[in-house]
Amino acid sequence: MDVTAQLILNGIMLGSMYAIIAVGLTLIFGIVRVVNFAHGEFLMVGMYAVYLFNKQMGLHPYVSALPVVVLLFLLGALIQRFIIQKLLNADEHIQIFATVGLSTALINLALILFGADLYSVNAPAARQPVPLGSFNVLSGHIVIFCAALALVAGLHMFMQRTALGRAIRATAQNRYAAQLMGVKVERIYIISFGLGAACVGLAAALIMPLYPVSPTIGTYFVLTAFVVVVLGGMRSMYGAFFGALIIGIVDSLSGYYIAPDLKEVVYFAIFILILIFKPTGLFGFGRGTE
Amino acid sequence: MKKFLGAAVAAGLAFAAQSAQAQVKVGALYPFSGGLALLGDESFRGLELAVEERNAAGGLKGQKIEIVKGDAVDPNQAVGEARRLTSVDKVPVIFGSYASSISLAATQVAELAGIPYFEMGAISDPITERGYKYVFRSNPTAKDFANKMVDSVLDILGPALGADGKSLKVAIIHEDSLYGQTVAGFQTARAKEKGVNVVDTLPYSAKSVDLTPLILRLKSAGVDVVLQTSYQNDTVLFFRQMKEQGLKLKAIVGAGGGYSLADTMKAIGAENMEGALDVDFTQYKTNPAGAPGINEFVAKYKAKYGTEPRSGHSLANYMGANVFFDVMTKSKNLTGDAIREEIAKVDIPQGKTPTGWGVKFNAKGQNERASPYFMQWQKGELVTVHPPEAAVAKMKVGVGSN
Repeated sequence: MDVTAQLILNGIMLGSMYAIIAVGLTLIFGIVRVVNFAHGEFLMVGMYAVYLFNKQMGLHPYVSALPVVVLLFLLGALIQRFIIQKLLNADEHIQIFATVGLSTALINLALILFGADLYSVNAPAARQPVPLGSFNVLSGHIVIFCAALALVAGLHMFMQRTALGRAIRATAQNRYAAQLMGVKVERIYIISFGLGAACVGLAAALIMPLYPVSPTIGTYFVLTAFVVVVLGGMRSMYGAFFGALIIGIVDSLSGYYIAPDLKEVVYFAIFILILIFKPTGLFGFGRGTE
Repeated sequence: MKKFLGAAVAAGLAFAAQSAQAQVKVGALYPFSGGLALLGDESFRGLELAVEERNAAGGLKGQKIEIVKGDAVDPNQAVGEARRLTSVDKVPVIFGSYASSISLAATQVAELAGIPYFEMGAISDPITERGYKYVFRSNPTAKDFANKMVDSVLDILGPALGADGKSLKVAIIHEDSLYGQTVAGFQTARAKEKGVNVVDTLPYSAKSVDLTPLILRLKSAGVDVVLQTSYQNDTVLFFRQMKEQGLKLKAIVGAGGGYSLADTMKAIGAENMEGALDVDFTQYKTNPAGAPGINEFVAKYKAKYGTEPRSGHSLANYMGANVFFDVMTKSKNLTGDAIREEIAKVDIPQGKTPTGWGVKFNAKGQNERASPYFMQWQKGELVTVHPPEAAVAKMKVGVGSN
């Protein structure tokens, strides 16, 4: 029983890490309607940026969250403006190939610049076990959990209460109607892609104390993030948040009770079942509820 | 002109040796770019140093050795580059290759062309088990690694822990690609044969971002000794999470890979890696009495490249290259059959090469006297602790600061 509870707790912590990444992916998919296969590589870029801020300027990874979020927002906005925008009316396949190509290019760029070595930052405070009753949680994981909650709450406020947020929701619901209402759709897309990338920037700063960065680190996280997005109903960030927690718990429990190498099998099986039986996602948030 | 010389060399025309221009080309097939490039290049440096040394001492039968590089990023490219080396550059022999996947692909091409392929770093057993006539390997194989790890439970860990090795609860954990599967398969077989008590075998994906389920499983099974076959990221993750989850082991043994790299130790922290054991190619903190020439190699390496060697791969390639250059020197010509004949005559006892390995090739072309060494991380350094003649430090028990 104790082990099960600890596993669930670990799963929630793991899930909150996926949540931040998946919320970013959902924003891009839900609003710009582009499946961003380079999402994991944004994470990698962010982590190298955190590493460099730490090494060159001595910034703690959590402090460097601010500049890295801004940096990733700009990166995302530029990619939308100069790559995706040009392909917006092209076939969906072409957009997918563009992001896949971008992903490969970024991985190899990192290989050239940093080599295949691992780099890590020294932030022991983020790796302290914190006793929680009879269980242990990492301090860094608690920070990630709180950040994930704050991110979803913040985005909720932004989407509901600001004019820009309303324009974004309108664009997501119907690109052409929004345009008719005077929304500058292309600008909204640039901002949304930027926001999606910025979420990854936040994730990068929070993950960096826990995981060393290497050129392929993005691929470790992003496949799971895709499952989470589907589970959450593709376009809903609330769905993505809860979906991430569920996947985290499934990951943790199946790794213990079934086998560590079969946990991917378990959640990809879930992924396929959802696609077949409930393509609008587990919570029925589905289309147009953002 | 070059083509003529290549042909001349292949035909073994000894008089060409008198000319100052005479040279013998050798192919060097390694991953020089892409994800495997770091250790591919490190491996190549061993060959390069061996070649420079030979040339300074008058070359091969008086001919200058010239390296023709082939960049093999993956098996496809390995085939392409091996074809280029054998048919365009017409090299009489190829040296390689660091990665098993690359070696498996490239050796097929060389074998068909009847050109000797000298493998000095790839450990996958099938490389020398496909009945090829002209593939020769100087380094130990995955099976040697696995056997050494399992045997260490009985021969080294048991006595050090003051317990019967057979009473220790052992878990085999490994990343689930070909590398981990291969080593773990051999480990399971050896453990059965030797009566080692394996309580659990747990594969995991090297791309895993959470190993706590696995660690909690080891914890609830009360495991004493873990044998891990892993890359770098997963090694770092395992050690970090082992500490965080409070798993206390009596010993942990790694199969080279991620365990041997200084970057792994830095990412984990010297105090957390303290006591971790590692089975691998010979590393540099080794007693020169059991590995004559090792310090001279390091000195030459530093003089040429300006840094400490980045891993033991360069040493293993240096040792292998010297063995094969000796064979090429003694061989009456460089055809596959002549080399094969000469290879069979090599007989070097253990402890007489810079890696400490002996050399005796079997009919399959595998060096049967090569065996990996037993190292331990102590105060941020990977020191050899077994066999006794090569050891520079006494083995300690316990892992990390848990």
